[in-house]
Amino acid sequence: MNPEIPTILALSMQRLAGNIGEGGAAFAQGQVGLIGMMMTLSAKEYERGADIRVAENNELRALFGELAGTVSDATLKPKLTAAAASKDASLRISLLNENNYVLRRLLTEAMIHVEDHGQRTDLQRIWTVLKSLAERRLVQLGP
Amino acid sequence: MNELSQRLQKYLRGKLAAPDLTVSGLARIPGGASRETYRFRAHSGGRERGLILRRDPPASLIETERSTEYRAYEAFHGLGLPVPAPVALELDPAPLDRPFFIMEEIENCQAGSIMSPDPFGSYRETVGRQFFTVMGQIASADPRDVGLGDFEGETDIHDVAAHEVARWEKVVDEDEREPQPIVRAAIRWLKRNLPSPAQKISVVHGDYRTGNFLYDDAGTIRAILDWEMAHLGDPLEDLGWAIDPLWSGGNMEMPGGMLPRAEALRLWEKASGLKADPKALSWWEIFASLKGAAIWISAAREYAEGRNTDPINAFSGWYTLAFHNHILAQRLGAVA
Repeated sequence: MNPEIPTILALSMQRLAGNIGEGGAAFAQGQVGLIGMMMTLSAKEYERGADIRVAENNELRALFGELAGTVSDATLKPKLTAAAASKDASLRISLLNENNYVLRRLLTEAMIHVEDHGQRTDLQRIWTVLKSLAERRLVQLGP
Repeated sequence: MNELSQRLQKYLRGKLAAPDLTVSGLARIPGGASRETYRFRAHSGGRERGLILRRDPPASLIETERSTEYRAYEAFHGLGLPVPAPVALELDPAPLDRPFFIMEEIENCQAGSIMSPDPFGSYRETVGRQFFTVMGQIASADPRDVGLGDFEGETDIHDVAAHEVARWEKVVDEDEREPQPIVRAAIRWLKRNLPSPAQKISVVHGDYRTGNFLYDDAGTIRAILDWEMAHLGDPLEDLGWAIDPLWSGGNMEMPGGMLPRAEALRLWEKASGLKADPKALSWWEIFASLKGAAIWISAAREYAEGRNTDPINAFSGWYTLAFHNHILAQRLGAVA
């Protein structure tokens, strides 16, 4: 999730501590309402943040393991194999993100290869994972 | 605020040649991170009128030509469409620190909220019929006839779709803060599956949707707002954007939370004289979600890097980006 929670908390604090009433009562009320919404969403993200990143990273590794069995490209195949065997060494959000970004970049690289040279079933498998990733990252506004 | 009010008063006295003019009640309106919007009252010659000031923010969410929005208001107000009357455009930052323009305030109206499950209540059909008809009327106008023939945008009907994809890919390239595999896949798919040539080149509003127009207590649309992304292009771009599920709480069959899809498209076709070709429209719908994702990626960057810390930008980086990623994955996953 970008921006990350620490940025949102810090910038919200700055905004609230600043002259938020300068634009008039209606504007201030709107700003406070939005900040309040981001506080609520941040609380939800605090609860699920590590969980969804671990799940996403593991789902991507499982996909790469499957693709390594069908992709014959000499450059891509070892990357997929290595990524499939990688692990999250910590549950810190920043480190999970770091691993996640590496995996997501590799996903795009693998997807381009499959689109150009691969099998349709592999592409469909990738889209199944992408749908799962997108579903997991959805932000619910309600309770 | 008082200082801004004084400077605005001084400016308007000179601009409108009204030495007795006074400004009162200047207050910022919530919503919209791409321009600072204020309402105020101007009194002169015994007459009082409500006006709106739209000023560039210190950093803009979407970089647009500053005169674009004002010229669009001029053109379509002149055509008799529900668009506020423009009053003054000032590109010199000296009077109010940043470029700005002023237009009439459309009073006693409301905007539908995209957060509401039923944004228009009993006015749903009345508002919906006007919404899709006015969009068709915009599409039917010849850009040269309304003085916008030199607007930004591609004018070759064969290249317009590719031009728009390239435009938003550039935004993603510049503002992406984390890898976006779904957005990147969408860009590749759009490039590989370009639609049939545009039926014509029209003025595209660029952000024609629920939340960007005002209607009154009789359910009459009084103002189409926020023309800052207006450009020349394929009129199906506006249609695809307006029926994006983000503006209807995810409801694909009730675009904008107003009318059944088939009825909405029929009204647009009738008013525009154009065809909402299903295959081409499907491409523009996927493009709409890509364009949305690019805007939200840009908003998240502006916020995270401290250039525009309006909390709406943080919300865009979370809720709306995740929404459009989800829509893109659903739609493209179905055709893969």
